[in-house]
Amino acid sequence: MDRSPPGFRHRKLPTKVRTRISGHPSHLFEDTSGNVDVPTFEPGYEGPSSGFGLARPGILSDPMMSNLAMAYGSSLASQGKDIVDKNIDRFIPVSRLKYYFAVDTVYVGKKLGLLVFPYMHQNWEVQYQQDTPVAPRVEVNAPDLYIPAMAFITYLLVAGFALGTQSRFSPEVLGMLASTALIWLVIEVLAILLSLYLVTVNTDLTTIDLVAFAGYKYVGMIAGVVAGLIFGRTGYYIALGWCCISVVVFMIRTLRLKILSEAAAEGVLVRGTRNQLRVYLTMAIAAVQPFFMYWLTYHLVR
Amino acid sequence: MAFTLYSLLQAALLCVNAVAVLHEERFLNKIGWGADQSVGGFGEEPGIKSQLVNLIRSVRMVMRLPLIVVNSITIVLLLLFG
Repeated sequence: MDRSPPGFRHRKLPTKVRTRISGHPSHLFEDTSGNVDVPTFEPGYEGPSSGFGLARPGILSDPMMSNLAMAYGSSLASQGKDIVDKNIDRFIPVSRLKYYFAVDTVYVGKKLGLLVFPYMHQNWEVQYQQDTPVAPRVEVNAPDLYIPAMAFITYLLVAGFALGTQSRFSPEVLGMLASTALIWLVIEVLAILLSLYLVTVNTDLTTIDLVAFAGYKYVGMIAGVVAGLIFGRTGYYIALGWCCISVVVFMIRTLRLKILSEAAAEGVLVRGTRNQLRVYLTMAIAAVQPFFMYWLTYHLVR
Repeated sequence: MAFTLYSLLQAALLCVNAVAVLHEERFLNKIGWGADQSVGGFGEEPGIKSQLVNLIRSVRMVMRLPLIVVNSITIVLLLLFG
């Protein structure tokens, strides 16, 4: 507060601002930003502004040098941004992520209906577009990330609400629930990736697809917890049982087309260890879902 | 079952350490999982066992140096912050 009057006084003489501020006795640190000769500089040595280069303190207050500095700084920043943009695509395929969020209301409605009642749907195949992922808006069978993301957040809210009705709520619990659920998701996706590698399945399932499929179980979990809140434990078990079976059927029917070979996906019994392994893998992935659904919700319903 | 992100990272680090510690000569060869014992012919499908053997060998080779670094950092952090 004490420093502002002297600085304010010296604003009228722009070339002297830095030196006066740095020479002020009550500042807490030395302002070395443009000054080479801070403590011993005398005010009488102010020379012409642009001829001295770096030896002159107060270099950044000089308009020409400050323009140069700004231009250089902005070019550095844009170079850095270019490097980040080029490399981020290697780790997180950002350009493909946007396809997974290209949903509309009709798709979301149909997909949610499929998740709880997959028995009537006939054609589970995704019509192909070669390089880019299929936008879910045009194809009901395509995986998306909107439903899993929204379902995850809704699950957290519903879980917080359920804990609140039992007076077990505190804000830290929400954080713990979130990180627990997220970490189980990560573990599940990693386990699926590892087993897909071991069984040498030539599939076009990407990691994002697996995250999407693993996130679909949150819909069933929400339904179970809400039913448990309204109807008590019996309602919870009934709703959860129904959703578990639906999710298992959904996963088997969706993954069958992606993991199994062409002939086996048609329903023809193909012998051979490789196909058997793939069948087991599909069934294992589907069977793990109800386990997680129960594990993550049973402590919420009393 | 409360997890934090750090417990996941620690679990992953311990698993990778476990794979890296398997000794080629003293252990893997004894149980027939050595890298030089399972080079099959050019069959179409590698099979689970050879995939696993390849995975173990590649993890051991690739992760040796990063593991040293990450383990040291983890040890220091655990000593400092418990």
